[in-house]
Amino acid sequence: MTESIVSIKDLQYRYRGQKEYALDGINLEMPRGEFLVIMGPSEAGKSTLAATINGLIPHFFKGKYVGEVSVMGRNAKENSVAEMAEVVGMVFQDFEAQLFSTNVELEVAFGPENFAVEREEIGRRIKENLEYVGLTAFGHRPPSTLSGGQKQKLAIASVLALKPQVLVMDEPTTDLDPISKMGVFEITHRLCKRDDLTLMIFEHETEEALFADRVAFIHDGKLVKIGPTREMLCQVEMMEEMGVMPLGIPRFFKMMGAAELPLTPEEGVKAFQASGWKVDEAAYQKTVSAENADLAKRDKPVIQCRDLEFSYNPEVQALNGISLEICEGEMVAIVGQNGSGKTTLAKHFNGLLMPTSGAVTVDGLPTIDQGVFKLGQRVGYVFQNPDHQIFSETVFDEVAFSPRLRKMSEKEVKQCVTEALKAVDLVGFEEEDPFALTKSGRQRVAVASVLAAKPDVLILDEPTTGLDYAEQRSMMNMVRRLNENGSTIIFVTHHMWVVAEYAKRVFVMKGGKVILRGSTREVFSHGDELAEAFLRPPHFVEFSNRLGHTFLTPDEMSDYIEGVQE
Amino acid sequence: MDAEIYLDNNSFIHRLDPRTKIITFLLTFVAILLFQDPVWMIPVAVLILLQLAVSGSFKNLRRIRYILIVLTVSSMILWNFFSSGETPLFWVFEVESFYYSIARTALMILMISTGMILISTTRNEELVLGMIRLGLPYRVGFAISTSLRLVPTIASSTMTISQAQRSRGLDLDSGNLVDRIKKFLPLLVPVFISTIRNTNIFAMALESKGFGAREDRTFYLNLKMQKADYYVLAFAIIFTVASIVFAILGYGKISGLTSF
Repeated sequence: MTESIVSIKDLQYRYRGQKEYALDGINLEMPRGEFLVIMGPSEAGKSTLAATINGLIPHFFKGKYVGEVSVMGRNAKENSVAEMAEVVGMVFQDFEAQLFSTNVELEVAFGPENFAVEREEIGRRIKENLEYVGLTAFGHRPPSTLSGGQKQKLAIASVLALKPQVLVMDEPTTDLDPISKMGVFEITHRLCKRDDLTLMIFEHETEEALFADRVAFIHDGKLVKIGPTREMLCQVEMMEEMGVMPLGIPRFFKMMGAAELPLTPEEGVKAFQASGWKVDEAAYQKTVSAENADLAKRDKPVIQCRDLEFSYNPEVQALNGISLEICEGEMVAIVGQNGSGKTTLAKHFNGLLMPTSGAVTVDGLPTIDQGVFKLGQRVGYVFQNPDHQIFSETVFDEVAFSPRLRKMSEKEVKQCVTEALKAVDLVGFEEEDPFALTKSGRQRVAVASVLAAKPDVLILDEPTTGLDYAEQRSMMNMVRRLNENGSTIIFVTHHMWVVAEYAKRVFVMKGGKVILRGSTREVFSHGDELAEAFLRPPHFVEFSNRLGHTFLTPDEMSDYIEGVQE
Repeated sequence: MDAEIYLDNNSFIHRLDPRTKIITFLLTFVAILLFQDPVWMIPVAVLILLQLAVSGSFKNLRRIRYILIVLTVSSMILWNFFSSGETPLFWVFEVESFYYSIARTALMILMISTGMILISTTRNEELVLGMIRLGLPYRVGFAISTSLRLVPTIASSTMTISQAQRSRGLDLDSGNLVDRIKKFLPLLVPVFISTIRNTNIFAMALESKGFGAREDRTFYLNLKMQKADYYVLAFAIIFTVASIVFAILGYGKISGLTSF
C-alpha cells in the first residue's frame, strides 16, 4: 500500500487566455487500489484536474503548467495522451460524444486496436468487458440505439478493454436517470473491490460517494479537504458552504443535535429508534390534509390531455393513452426514466408535437388548431441545453428575440427584457456575451428569453442538469418565485431531491404511460411503484418512509419530532 | 431520433467486401462521367437502380428527397444556360441543351445514389479498413469516416435546435428568400457551437483511448474477399472498360451541342 500509483505534486494550471489559475497548488498521492471521490461545485477545477491525469492537460488544452503529475511513474507532461492511455482510462460525462463506432463490439475493440493487440486477444477482451458491464446481448447493436445508462456502461467497458491501472471518471452519471446512475455505480462498486485498479471519480452527487475509501473536496482550484469518507460526509455545514449537496440524513440528525451522525437510511432508522424520538402524528395528518385541500382548490385547468397517443414512427409508440389535467398556478413535476416519454409529453403542451390520436387542449382549445407560434405566447418551453438556443451577441438581444419576433415596439421589448432579466437575477448583464457566462448563467438567459414572451405556463426540461448544488437551488428558488407570482410551472427532471423539495404534484411516467400521480408526498410514499418506473426517492425520503411517514426535507421533518431531550 | 445512415439489412451488397464496394463505387463514377447523351447512361442507371433495390437504400434516398428535388429542378434549368444547341425549343432551351441537362441531372442523381449505396451498406469501420487495405494511410481513412459520422450528429442537433427556436416564436415557413435565410441564423450559431463542442469531446475521447499510440495498429474486423466479390469486380471492370471503349469510339455524344 505504500507505493503511490497516482502522484500529483504542486500542480498549478492556467488555461491560455485566462487570468485565474484553474488549479492552484494541488498535492495528491493515491495508493494502489484506492477509490477516491472528488467533489466540488462547478468551476472548482474538477474537470481540469481530471484532464491532467491522462495528459489531456497540457497536451490537448494549452496553458501554463507548473508541477508534476505522474501515473505509475509515467510523467503526464512528457508522455503523449495516447501513451498515457495505456495506464489511465478516462470516462467523460457526455456519453453521446465519446462513443463513435457503429457497433458495440467495435467500440470496445477501438482501444486495444490502437495498441496493436492481437485479434484473438481483442475478441477475448470484448467478451470479458461486455460481460462485466452487462451488455453482452447488445454486441451487434449500434451504440446510438442504447439508452443513456447503457451508453455510459459501454464507455466504461471500452476503456477497461485497455486494461488501465487507473480509471478516471469525470461526472459519469450527471446526465443519467436515477436507476441508470445506480447501474453505473454498481459497476464502480465492483471495480473498487478489484485491488489492481485505482479509481478516481469526480462527482457532485453525494449519495454515490458513500462507497469511496476517501473523499476530497475541491474549491477554487485547491484541494480543501481530504480524508476518510465517513468523516468527510459528516461535515454538513462545510459541504453546504462549498456548494456541495450534504446528505439529508446526517443533516437531519445534526439539526436534532445528535452527536453521532448516521449516513445511510439503514443507519438512520436504527439511530432514530434508539433516540426515543417520535413523530407528532396529529400535526402530520393535519399537514397532509391541508396539502390535499390546497391541491383541490386548483380547479381551473390550463392544459388537458385526453387519451393522448403519439408515435415517432409506426413501430414505436412513444405515448400510450395519457389523460391528465394541469391547473392554473400549479407546480408540477414529470419524472421517469430516460425514454419513458416525459419530454415527448411536455412537447405536446406547447404544440411542438401534435397527437397521433386523442387530444391536447390548452385553455380548452385543441393545440392542433392553435399551432406552436400562437401557443408560444401562452406556454413557454425552456429546452434542456441552453446552448441549443443561444445565438445572439448580447444577453439583451438574446432575451429580446422572442418579443421582437412578435412585432412588439422597441419600448415594449425593452420592458419585457428588463422584467425577464429581473426574474432570473441577471439585471446588469444586458451587454454581456451570453457565451461567456457559466452554464447556470446561460441556463438563466434561456429561461429569461422564454419569459420575455410573457407566457402564463412555463415548461422546463431538465432545468437543473449540469448545475451544481448551489446553482440548482438558486435556479429552483427562482422557478418557485415565478410560481408564487402566478405562473403555472411544469418541469421534467431526473433530480429526485428537486422534485421532493419543489414540486407540489408529480406525474410518474413509464413506457409512455402515467403510472403514478398525486401530491409529491403521496407519490414518494410509493417506493415500490417508483422502483418499477426505475426511480428512487432520495435517501432522506426513503429513511422517513421506513419510519412510517413521508417527509420531503430534513427541515420539514424536524418540526414534527417529539420527545427530544433538550 | 434515428439518424444513422448505415442500414443494418445484411443484403447481398452488405456482405460484399468493402474493397469491392469502394472500387465499384469509383468505377461507377467513371462510367457515369463518360457520356453526354442520356440514352447512353441508361445501362449504368439500371445497374444503380438494381443495387438500390437489392440493398434497400431507397429508404435513405427518401430521407433526402427534398434536396434531390431541388437539385433536379435547378439542374434541369441551369444546364440550359451553360450550354447551347442548334434546334431551338423555347426561351434558353434548345433540344440539344435540354437533352444535355437531362444527362447532367442524371449524372448528379446517380452519383449521389451510388455514394448513398456505399455508405448505406458499409459500416464506418469497414469503410476505413477497406480504404487502408487499398493503400490509404490510417489517419486519412479515419478522417473521411469521421466526417461521414458527423452528418447524423449534425442532423439530429439541428432537429432539436429548430424545435427550441420554433417554440420561441421563430417561424421558418414563411417570408421571401432573404427573410428565410436571415431566419436560419438563430439555428446556425447553436448548430456550429454544439458541433464544435461535440467534436472536441470526440477528439479527447479518441486520444484517451490511445489513438495514434503506435505506428502499427491491428484491426478487429477481418476482411476476406469471397467468390462473389471477384465476380462483382470482374463485371464492374468489364462494364467500365466497355463504356470507355464506346466513349473513345465517339458514341454517346450529342451532336450540335456546345457546352461551356
